[in-house]
Amino acid sequence: MLGSAHPLDLFDRRALRRFRERAARHWGGADFLVADVAERLADRLDDVQRRFPVALDLGCRGGVLARLLNGRGGIETLVQMDPADGFARRAPAPRVVAEAELLPFKPAAFDLILSVLDLHHVNDLPGALVQIRRALKPDGLLLAALFAGETLTGLRRAWMEAELVEQGGAGSRVSPFADPRDLGALLQRAGFAAPVIDSDALEVSYDSAFNLMRDLRAMGEGNALVERARNFTRRATMLRAVEFYDAGADATGRITARFEVVTLTAWAPLETR
Amino acid sequence: MADIDPKLLEILVCPLTKAPLRYDRDKQELISIEAGLAYPIRDGIPIMLVDEARRLDDAEEARLGAKPAP
Repeated sequence: MLGSAHPLDLFDRRALRRFRERAARHWGGADFLVADVAERLADRLDDVQRRFPVALDLGCRGGVLARLLNGRGGIETLVQMDPADGFARRAPAPRVVAEAELLPFKPAAFDLILSVLDLHHVNDLPGALVQIRRALKPDGLLLAALFAGETLTGLRRAWMEAELVEQGGAGSRVSPFADPRDLGALLQRAGFAAPVIDSDALEVSYDSAFNLMRDLRAMGEGNALVERARNFTRRATMLRAVEFYDAGADATGRITARFEVVTLTAWAPLETR
Repeated sequence: MADIDPKLLEILVCPLTKAPLRYDRDKQELISIEAGLAYPIRDGIPIMLVDEARRLDDAEEARLGAKPAP
């Protein structure tokens, strides 16, 4: 069957696209985290003393990074790729709708592949990294930021507690994230040279977990697992999760959402294997 | 009608088979003969998603040389 979700896949790719399409329709406002991470990635590119004439933005959303870069890094062509048609349309041309797990590019097509907060949705990260490495020219650069490790542990805990109370069992509600310590080995196995992994902790303050969840949905970060289980997720469970999370508010009545953003810097080897 | 960017067309392959694509300008499709799929191009944006692709019928495949004519 075409495009059916593999039974072992963690993320339902169709659900994920639906999330992003919905986010694209209401884009703007909740993209501060994307903009912030894109800014950091652009700064890193400035530190690299090289020119990258042909580049790809993998998971471009509305073209946030493209507008920031605007020719920095010696980029002459920046292909905008997103799994959601609605996001690709908002980005500057050339644009393509595609998924990181099934890249539609020739070998050695790019000097540079950039990605802002996208690769944490991939079911088969090792496989995607191999495809990325092949799409890079020898000595091409992958510069990618993704959520990892300790991201949203508070929200995950609150959901689990809410499900135990409301449904008598806990499922998975917020995507599990890769352990940053595993990513270096993963890149090496995918054939990258000299991978560097660094991690930034970002904290965002909210008056309620309700607004945190709203922002996550607006970013297209709503969990595909949540979406698939929607019919079985009672609103009561969601409200209970909000209640549990908000119970941990500080003296000023605010809660903190913690994101761990990992940046991968890795080069395609000069001699491709 | 917006045409597909020629530089983009140059680097695209079938996401499933990684084989070259045939560009059908009239139908605005990118055809992967090996996979038997036609990926649509909408407003100049190629949609390289397997579940959005159209399956080629036998007559098309025969015409494109994927299978011998019946």
